[in-house]
Amino acid sequence: MAQEDIQALPSTDLTLRAHAGARATPLDDLECVVALYQPRVFRFLLAQLRDRDAAETLTQETFLRAWTARASFREDCSVATWLIRIALNLARDHTRTGRFRFWKHLSASAVDVAEVAASLPDREVSAEARLIAQQQVALIWQTVASLSERQRTVFLLRFLEEMEIPEIATVTGLPLGTVKSHLYRALHIIRTQHSTAAHNPAFSDIATRNSESCISAAKEAL
Amino acid sequence: MTPQLARQLEVATSAHLTEDQFGELLAGDAQQPIPAPVQAHLLACQKCAAELAGLRESLSFFQQATGAYADNELRHLPQASLPDRPMRSPVLAAGLEPAYWLAAAVLLAGFLPMQSAHRNALPPAPVAASSDTGEIESQSDEALLNDVDSELSASVPASMQALVDPSTDDTDISAQTSTQRKD
Repeated sequence: MAQEDIQALPSTDLTLRAHAGARATPLDDLECVVALYQPRVFRFLLAQLRDRDAAETLTQETFLRAWTARASFREDCSVATWLIRIALNLARDHTRTGRFRFWKHLSASAVDVAEVAASLPDREVSAEARLIAQQQVALIWQTVASLSERQRTVFLLRFLEEMEIPEIATVTGLPLGTVKSHLYRALHIIRTQHSTAAHNPAFSDIATRNSESCISAAKEAL
Repeated sequence: MTPQLARQLEVATSAHLTEDQFGELLAGDAQQPIPAPVQAHLLACQKCAAELAGLRESLSFFQQATGAYADNELRHLPQASLPDRPMRSPVLAAGLEPAYWLAAAVLLAGFLPMQSAHRNALPPAPVAASSDTGEIESQSDEALLNDVDSELSASVPASMQALVDPSTDDTDISAQTSTQRKD
């Protein structure tokens, strides 16, 4: 691999490469791979499936598949991209079974939106501002659930995993234009819901005050 | 004010941002510069600027909250890792190794005499076939193969031969028909 290619790799991949040493692939050291990427894979699966047990099972399955198929990893993408692609395929297979849909309604391990919103890290803000921030999280979380499977996948890869659009195209196997199209449609739906909620006086008062500081910061950036 | 700037200002204030422009601003490459008309519009239009800022803020909250929630959930999960040494059976892992070997020895000690007794009870193995028997078997095999070959090479199978000979067939059929009528 050329020096410039190595520089372009994420730091986690460089760590793996250093650990791999004389090994055949960076995935041979499974313990290191799990330590580096398990949080990311689990976070994506949890947001995609909204079920703790399913996310846990599929996270383990992702690493098992990656380990089994490590010889086929050609290093034409980062390890993270490869793992997320495996996780996405597993999630897709999992959600297509009727059994998943049935148990999702009854599952005790289904993610509660209130718990997610309450997980927002503490900020130096008033209780009122914190409450409105939690409402914003809940709104986005619920709206994402209403998106189509592809829209949700693309949205989560962009806004949760912070992947660039070409990377999302690699993970999903979709053309760049299609990825953009799904992403813009998802954002349109979220924007619509956001504006509807913003008309709610309780939401809008504090949201306006919250965003005033953001606007001034954005104007300074412009 | 230059004409170009005036035109940009006109575009900027005439209409709000489109869906694609919003999408590009929210999800596009952060390294890419914002197009000048869009930038001018955001400076001039308070509504679009507020909406964009609000959405960016909500998306950021969503990412932080989801990440924190997932990290918290992950802390309660058992960590997956490969075993450092080969897997041991629960019996061996529980320190029951001597009992395991003792049981194996008892089983083996019980099994071997049974095997020898069974072998003694078996009828004597047939003596190797004589050369005459072998010749007879090979002759019968050849005859069987010849029969099969003739069956396959025949234009009409033996079982259908009766249908090929019309005189025999007609007679039989008419005889059968008359018998049935008489009945």
